[in-house]
Amino acid sequence: MSKIHDYTGPILEIDKLSISFFTRLREIPAVMDFSVKVAPGEAVGLVGESGCGKSTVALGVMRDLGKNGRIVGGSIKFKGRDMEKMTPDELRDVRGNEIAMIYQEPMASLNPAMKIGRQLMEVPMIHEGVSETEAYNRALEVVTDVKLPDPKRMLSSYPHQLSGGQQQRIVIAMALMSKPSLLILDEPTTALDVTVEAAVVELVKDLGKKYGTSMLFISHNLGLVLETCDKICVMYSGEAVERGEIETVFNNMQHPYTQALFRSIPLPGADKNSRPLVAIPGNFPLPHERPKGCNFGPRCDYYEEGLCDEGFVPMFPADKAGDHETRCLKFKSIDWNAPLEVGEQKEKGEIGEVVLKMENLKKYYEVAANALFGGGETRVVKANETLSFEARESETLAIVGESGCGKSTFAKVLMGLETATDGKIELDGKSIEHVAIEDRDTKTVADVQMVFQNPFDTLNPSMTVGRQIIRALEIFGIGDSDEARRERMLNLLDLVKLPRAFADRMPRQLSGGQKQRVGIARAFAGDARIVVADEPVSALDVSVQAAVTDLLMEIQREHKTTLLFISHDLSIVRYLSDRVMVMYLGHVVELGTTDDIFSPPYHPYTEALLSAVPIADTKIKKTHIVLEGDIPSAMNPPSGCPFQTRCRWKEQVPGELCDREVPPVKDLGNGHQIKCHLDDATLKKMEPVIKLADAAE
Amino acid sequence: MEPLTWFGAFTWFGSFLGVAITVAIVSGLAAMLLSLTNSSTKGAFSLFNGIAVVLLLVVGFGYVYGMMSGGGGIQMSTLARMLGVLVLLGLFAAMLGYFMNTFFDDPAATMGALFSKALLAIAIICGVWLLWTLLFAGSGHRAYVDGLAPDAMPDAETLAAEKRIAIMQGRGIIASIFMRFMPVWISLTVIIVVSMIYKRKLGLYGKLYDNVIGMVGFSLVMFWVLTAFYTGVFDLISTHGPLEQASGMKNKLPGTPLRGAESGEYAFYLLGGDNLARDVFSRMVKGSVTVIIIAPLATLFAFMVGITLGLPAGYFSGPALNRESIGTKIVGALFAIIALAILFTSGISNFLIVLVVLAVLFALMFKGSLDTVLSFLANLILAFPVILLFYLLVTPEIVQTGLPQYMAIVLFFFPIIFVAVLINSRFKTQPAKNSKYLMLTLIPMAIIYAVTINAPESKINILGALDFFNPDPGVLVVFVSVVFVNSPTVFRIVRGLALDINSRDYVAAAQTRGEGPWYIMLWEILPNARGPLIVDFCLRIGYTTILLGTLGFFGLGLSPESPDWGSTINDGRKLLMIYAHPALPPAFALLSLVLGLNLLADGLREESLKD
Repeated sequence: MSKIHDYTGPILEIDKLSISFFTRLREIPAVMDFSVKVAPGEAVGLVGESGCGKSTVALGVMRDLGKNGRIVGGSIKFKGRDMEKMTPDELRDVRGNEIAMIYQEPMASLNPAMKIGRQLMEVPMIHEGVSETEAYNRALEVVTDVKLPDPKRMLSSYPHQLSGGQQQRIVIAMALMSKPSLLILDEPTTALDVTVEAAVVELVKDLGKKYGTSMLFISHNLGLVLETCDKICVMYSGEAVERGEIETVFNNMQHPYTQALFRSIPLPGADKNSRPLVAIPGNFPLPHERPKGCNFGPRCDYYEEGLCDEGFVPMFPADKAGDHETRCLKFKSIDWNAPLEVGEQKEKGEIGEVVLKMENLKKYYEVAANALFGGGETRVVKANETLSFEARESETLAIVGESGCGKSTFAKVLMGLETATDGKIELDGKSIEHVAIEDRDTKTVADVQMVFQNPFDTLNPSMTVGRQIIRALEIFGIGDSDEARRERMLNLLDLVKLPRAFADRMPRQLSGGQKQRVGIARAFAGDARIVVADEPVSALDVSVQAAVTDLLMEIQREHKTTLLFISHDLSIVRYLSDRVMVMYLGHVVELGTTDDIFSPPYHPYTEALLSAVPIADTKIKKTHIVLEGDIPSAMNPPSGCPFQTRCRWKEQVPGELCDREVPPVKDLGNGHQIKCHLDDATLKKMEPVIKLADAAE
Repeated sequence: MEPLTWFGAFTWFGSFLGVAITVAIVSGLAAMLLSLTNSSTKGAFSLFNGIAVVLLLVVGFGYVYGMMSGGGGIQMSTLARMLGVLVLLGLFAAMLGYFMNTFFDDPAATMGALFSKALLAIAIICGVWLLWTLLFAGSGHRAYVDGLAPDAMPDAETLAAEKRIAIMQGRGIIASIFMRFMPVWISLTVIIVVSMIYKRKLGLYGKLYDNVIGMVGFSLVMFWVLTAFYTGVFDLISTHGPLEQASGMKNKLPGTPLRGAESGEYAFYLLGGDNLARDVFSRMVKGSVTVIIIAPLATLFAFMVGITLGLPAGYFSGPALNRESIGTKIVGALFAIIALAILFTSGISNFLIVLVVLAVLFALMFKGSLDTVLSFLANLILAFPVILLFYLLVTPEIVQTGLPQYMAIVLFFFPIIFVAVLINSRFKTQPAKNSKYLMLTLIPMAIIYAVTINAPESKINILGALDFFNPDPGVLVVFVSVVFVNSPTVFRIVRGLALDINSRDYVAAAQTRGEGPWYIMLWEILPNARGPLIVDFCLRIGYTTILLGTLGFFGLGLSPESPDWGSTINDGRKLLMIYAHPALPPAFALLSLVLGLNLLADGLREESLKD
């Protein structure tokens, strides 16, 4: 029955695979000389930045390269059979049956017009021709396995009735329906929230063990790979640059790119002064503009002319057993343990006066059942509930929370796109909570600006970069002639460290990081004093993240800007913020300085959030907390404490207080506020979530 | 004088062509059917079995039908013979399947290759024939002159006239038509060659040249555009005037010589004469002018209306409408215009009814949104049968009430609004530039607007003597109705696109820096909706062309003697069973233009989706 145990060799053997895409101009090599072996029951992580070819490898295995893509060299063997030689019929039998794939966007993998049960039952009915009842029973079993509540109801619901996390579980269930020997996961949790991500990752790990399935785990997140995989393969620009056991690679890396990658991600356990982020210089090469010799050469610290730019670089074994390999010519001569050269320490700007003050801000939306005739009851969505905080000059205030926590609504109210329902927003002592953006004077508008999340969406695709910045200058009334404005625009490009020639480029000619820089330049066009950065780096590759983050901090130092940094990534928050505000379902559950937030006592939600962040450091031990269930809908929030449905400390509070009353704000001193019913004694007992493993001393 | 034949003097290529076409049909069909049956022997066998069954059914039905109609039916012996043939056919199919599988690895592919070779052969044969005919058309005449005795030689003038006629007779109809279109061929070649050379620098238009379908579509469209240009501006291509009648040419077949043609005159009716003895070819060529001018222009106006209303509908689709908002003002103004138009046209009682309806709509707006109301209105128009609407708008009684003119007042105002808002929102921050640009565009537009809607001896005659331009009232009516019918569809497309783009970050960025709604709509949303809009524009010109044809076909709007394709098809239709030639050329012209536009839209869509 199961296809897993009748073959003992490696499940998947990719040998010197090369894949190219053919466009009308040229051949674009996407993957070159790529080899990997997946043993039965093993999980192999494929890590790299976007565009490095990791998804192409997965598609190559599935033979789903489209009409432009072709395998131009090497071989893929599945259970010893060369997939090249399979007929379309055999391939169809293998896909979805022996190899299953899970994609990033769960909603895109499910048919919105079919009930979940039908979709799941299809798999064994098509591949094994089992009867409908048996298929149904199996579907029920698998849905129970992926820990979905009320499996029978799940089977008879449509995909849109489930949350993102539940959908992804269904996709996983569907992949497991046929008990495949190999599971390919292409960024399976990128679209999910951190706490949900943690639960899904946990599930995948458990199921892998239970079913004995081999896994190819594709991700850009080193921490996630560390948590899930046995082996790792780091890719750069179409090539595997380093490969080996996960512990070996993390502790004893042998390729400059892997090292640079690790240095560019913030680790929540590390201090920002002793371990600053180091961005990888330069840009990811376009596939048709790769340098001669080592692809990483031009960005490498150890680059040596005459050696690294001469011809093809093969994989070298880095240890005796040959399990650890690296594609570097100089790996033997590099001192891998050399301490990081810490650049000049820049003093943080002095934190000044209060610039922005919010008091009991409330934003409610009314949702009518029938918009046209007004009938039916109106429901109130409480997007923001009693928000109070202050932000000072040159301070970074991080706002942390998952989707639906109300951080975007808060930004909208602050920007004036929406007006507040109740409460107060004071900007320099002027209250602006009821002033919509069209009624604000130019100075106020220019003072409060925003940097957006999605770099591919933040610039108008049909206007040149320069034109977009100049437009901002025009609207803010800066510069009295076209020439003056152009000069100022060029200065702004200098400020964000972009070449002046970019002024005449179209956004599509820029990379994600460059677009984000233009977005920052545009926000600072009118010398903004408060900048709301809505996840400005979360859509960027890690190596670029560091550079953009540094840029933001540098501009902040120069301009004494107040930065409201909205993020769900606690690592980066710890790295750059002075104070942190944690939000959940429209409530501020915790507010305090960064150190207070990251050390106990925690709010139970903060604790779970901290534990959910994948950390790419083998030396760090985390307390393992997995939150049950999903974030409740803001349309229908739980009674009492918003977090009570998922809280693991709930039993500690006597008298079901959590069910009945919204907790009061408790001040723990030093401006550290917490919204929880837990008494001080319990709070004191809390253990730190993140610990260095050898922190015994 | 001998009439022209279709292929002229050189018909010996015909047999080659026949062979090539037969091969093409047989191999093409075989390839298609074989690939359907997965190219196995069994498949091929069952395929021929299928054909046999169909034949059997035909024979059977024929027999029964024959019996019933009293003709005695097919003789039993005939039936038996047919069945015998079927058995033989089945055997043949089995053998053929066996044969194909033995000799070809992949019969379907082989047949496919044969098919494409046959097509190539057809193209080469046609090309060679055309070249040959054009080069040697006069050879017969030369031989005849050479054979003449010196004393029987006519004078030079007669000789030249005879030579001209002889050359044309040598060419035949097809080659002569080809020669008439020479300016179009030359320009088309130049355009294509130049574009091919610079295609990498020409953006989306350049990418079209990577796409066979798009290129074919573009060539077809350009063919008619150039034809309209040369015949409309330089009076080239057409051989006679569109209204010229020649005695004795009534319903004459293609290639008929003119009786007593004068020396400057074209001596033949290339595609025959219609029932009023006018030249079909010339009317077809002249008819392209009407279509090529009205269709794109009407579509453009429909787009202006659709965009100007669709953008705010999509942008202000939020929950309820603010009484103070710009959207409310737009709709209010719109309603006022409509109400006033009704008041002027049909008196106080209708006005009151309309006023009540509009008041209800306006009230709805505060419950719903601008979007609700505008979409409702658009749906109202869309729900009405188009042809019926046309009949209503175009019938003389309605035209006399001035309704089309009032509609023109409203519809033609939209381009002015569009341009004014476009410029104002962009340059609002620089007042000097703003007023300069506004004046440069709005004053000419306002003048054109005023003289277009103003017409002597109609309800709107305010300008009087100042009115220097009067469009043909029929054309105006057709134009207005086409715009009116097309704009709701455009409205819906634009609204949908605006709804989608509304959620982009660059729109939010514009809002957070305090841009006005019109700037965001016209400069942030519209340019990024251009892809689908361009494609729809091409398709819609096609629909409009068909609509114009339909209108002409019903004899609505344009004057009866107008050479536009719809009217000429309708004229020809009456005698279609006896004389097919007057109706077919305009029908073919309409077909090729619409096909071209569709292919062009397909090509554009495909290419704009690629990297």
